[in-house]
Amino acid sequence: MTSNPTLAGRRILIVEDDFVIAHDFATMIGQAGATVIGPVGTLLEAMKLIERTGHLDGAILDINLGGEMVYDLVDALQAQGVPVVFATGYDPAAIPARYASVPLCQKPIDPEQIARAIFG
Amino acid sequence: MPDRDKIEVLLRQRKVLADFGDVALQSEDMDAVLHEACRLVGEALGTGRAKVLEIEKGGESLLVRAGVGWAPEVVGHVRLPMDEHSSETYAIRRGKPVISQDITREDRFEVPAFMKEAGVVSLVNVPVFRPGRQAYGLLQVDDTQPRDFDQDHIEFLRTYATILGPVIDRLLKLEELRASEERFRAFVTASNDVVYRISPDWREMRDLRGRGFLADLSHAGRDWQEHFVHSEDREMVQAAIKDMTGNEDLVELEHRVRHPGGIAWVLSRAAAIRDAEGQIIEWLGAARDVTDRRAAEAALRESEERFRTIVETATDYAIFTTDPDGRIQLWPPGAQRIFGWTAEEAVGQAMEMTYTPEDRAAGVPENERREAREKGHAPNVRFHMRKDGSRVFIEGVARPLTARDGTVTGFVKVGQDVTERRATEEALRESEARFRQFGEASSDVLWIRECESLAYEYLSPAFETLYGLSREEALRGNHVLRWMELIHPDDRDRVLDLLRRVRKGENATETYRIIRPIDGQTRWVRNTDFPLWGKDGHVQRIGGLSHDATGEVESRERLELLVTELQHRTRNLIGVVNSIANQTMAHTGPTEAFREEFGHRLAALSRVQGLLSRAQQEPITLRALLTLELQALGAKEGERVRIDGPWVRIRPTNVQTLALVVHELATNARKYGALSEGGGRLSVTWYLRSGDEGQRVFIDWREDDLSPTDEGPSAAERGGGYGRLLIERALPYSLGATTTYELGRTELRCTIDLPLARGSRKPGTSHDQ
Repeated sequence: MTSNPTLAGRRILIVEDDFVIAHDFATMIGQAGATVIGPVGTLLEAMKLIERTGHLDGAILDINLGGEMVYDLVDALQAQGVPVVFATGYDPAAIPARYASVPLCQKPIDPEQIARAIFG
Repeated sequence: MPDRDKIEVLLRQRKVLADFGDVALQSEDMDAVLHEACRLVGEALGTGRAKVLEIEKGGESLLVRAGVGWAPEVVGHVRLPMDEHSSETYAIRRGKPVISQDITREDRFEVPAFMKEAGVVSLVNVPVFRPGRQAYGLLQVDDTQPRDFDQDHIEFLRTYATILGPVIDRLLKLEELRASEERFRAFVTASNDVVYRISPDWREMRDLRGRGFLADLSHAGRDWQEHFVHSEDREMVQAAIKDMTGNEDLVELEHRVRHPGGIAWVLSRAAAIRDAEGQIIEWLGAARDVTDRRAAEAALRESEERFRTIVETATDYAIFTTDPDGRIQLWPPGAQRIFGWTAEEAVGQAMEMTYTPEDRAAGVPENERREAREKGHAPNVRFHMRKDGSRVFIEGVARPLTARDGTVTGFVKVGQDVTERRATEEALRESEARFRQFGEASSDVLWIRECESLAYEYLSPAFETLYGLSREEALRGNHVLRWMELIHPDDRDRVLDLLRRVRKGENATETYRIIRPIDGQTRWVRNTDFPLWGKDGHVQRIGGLSHDATGEVESRERLELLVTELQHRTRNLIGVVNSIANQTMAHTGPTEAFREEFGHRLAALSRVQGLLSRAQQEPITLRALLTLELQALGAKEGERVRIDGPWVRIRPTNVQTLALVVHELATNARKYGALSEGGGRLSVTWYLRSGDEGQRVFIDWREDDLSPTDEGPSAAERGGGYGRLLIERALPYSLGATTTYELGRTELRCTIDLPLARGSRKPGTSHDQ
């Protein structure tokens, strides 16, 4: 038996290029009791950030970062054992088969859905 | 006869002899001398009559050459035949005087009638001989009485005749000489030749009649060679003279001379004149202008040389001649090269060896000769055999060689080796066939038009499928008009313009509509036309590919519809979101402020979607973005609003954030600032600059002369919070911009230093990329 997963106390990385959405995510995830790492809007910033930040419990990633694909970051996070969820407007069919196992949350996101996807 | 008389007679005779001697020495006139001879002898013998009879040429008659006591019609006119019955002939034959004392009793001789009529009764014939006993004629003394000429008379007459002979001889020779000289003069006068006399050693020109061709030379001259002979020929002339004058009596040579008109060629011939001892005393020569003949000969030689050169250097042609039976006579290098046999191997052989065995068996060579004989030429276009057995394709002709009388003396054959050309032509035919197969198989229409008339030279079968018209129909009458009828009337001008451009040498593509006659369907055709250049560098033909683009045009139209639909839906969706927000607010205790701000922000987003949906066709510029937002608030460029800056394209991914920022700034200006009723001026300016990471645009938003109010919103409030959030955080976060925002009592200043993506500057103005 497990209780419903929660974000409370978790360190969650947010990578989203649109400020309005990133701001919204950060507010929601923060209200859900998590510590928000980021948000950052570019792949380069994200890569730098995961180098210097401490332990991560999970990451919410937009797929398309101003034209750049986020997949290199997914590889880096998975290598560290960090669970990842995609938050995107894309249809699942548009995602490469390699990343088919990554949970997908359609925007607008719901913190509970995120928590289930990462920790469920 | 008494002695005294006799002495007197002798004395008279001696005087006659002396007198005649004087006459003979003084006169050179034969007739005068002979007349005097007759007169004196008549006087000496007392007859008063005497005559001289001269043997005429041929020795068959005697002419009364001179006479005294005879009628004028006798002297110089009467001729006596020299027959056996005449005393005259008898006397000449015997070489002694013959006396007829009384002709009435003469039975030995016939006396000529004219003498009897003149009453002659007696006569003496004394033969006259020239030195060497060459008979000249007779001295005849006549008397009208019977007379007995005694021995003294006879002796006197013999002596007289002996004197007379050499005198006559001298005069005759003189006469001959005169005649000869006269003939020579006449010859010289009648001839056109230059005539000259020259010394035996050829040093001295004694006389030269130039005949208007050379300058006359009437005095003796030793410088005749310098005078007449061309300087380059002098040595040759001297050598020739030296060579020939040793033993020949005739000198002949050709050389060049100088004459008043320039240089000419002469043929000069001279004959030696020798004296009695055989010594050459002079050369007599004639020279003739042979310049024309030499020129003609040279021209002929040159022409023959030229002909020979042509035949021998035309090694791409086999030219050879045969005798009437086809045996090879001339086999020049061209024939050697093409057929492989050397001249030694070929000459004398039957030309049949150049034919293939099949042609030989079919009698082709004989037929060719017969045809050439009958028609004057026979074409010879077929494979031939070479020496090594390989075959060579010859394109040529055989012609008969004819003598002046028309008989065929042989044949000349001229042919060209076209083996390679035929192979090329064959390859070309194959290539054309392949092109045709390609054209026939293609689902696009392949076509070629002649550039001037635009008539089709080739039209592939796909035409019928695309245009719905048979090719027979399309190629009937004027091809262009017929084709134009198929094209949608609205598109005809564009299509004509396309052809015009291609005619000028452009490659061009045009898409246009056709209306198919077969089913009335409208279809789209994309024509790619290109010029085909001639060797002269002009467009000779137009080639093209016509493709049925109906599907593509339709799918593009569908795509455009789809984009429009998407845009429509996006905006609708924003509308729905707006409605839902309003509905939600109805339950959660809405504020008017929320409703208004939220609504305006959604409207700005919606406008930006409009811009973005057209971004493919129309790049979004900074100016367009600013104008769109300001216009939405009813603000226009003018006294209070200034918008100024270069052409700058904003990347579609940056548009939404920037547009929201502009919306916030403009809305605030409308509410509180330069665009409000309180007054003030708005100026938005920007400029481009190069930063470390490429191009950047620096945007300066200023509001001045604002009405100062202490009750106005605080700086934080004025931005509504959200505006400042976007400016100070969203712009750096999403677009990497550096921003400032300062609000004073009567002014506001916001600057945005925004990096631009590559290619964001207006094309053509770039100078650093």
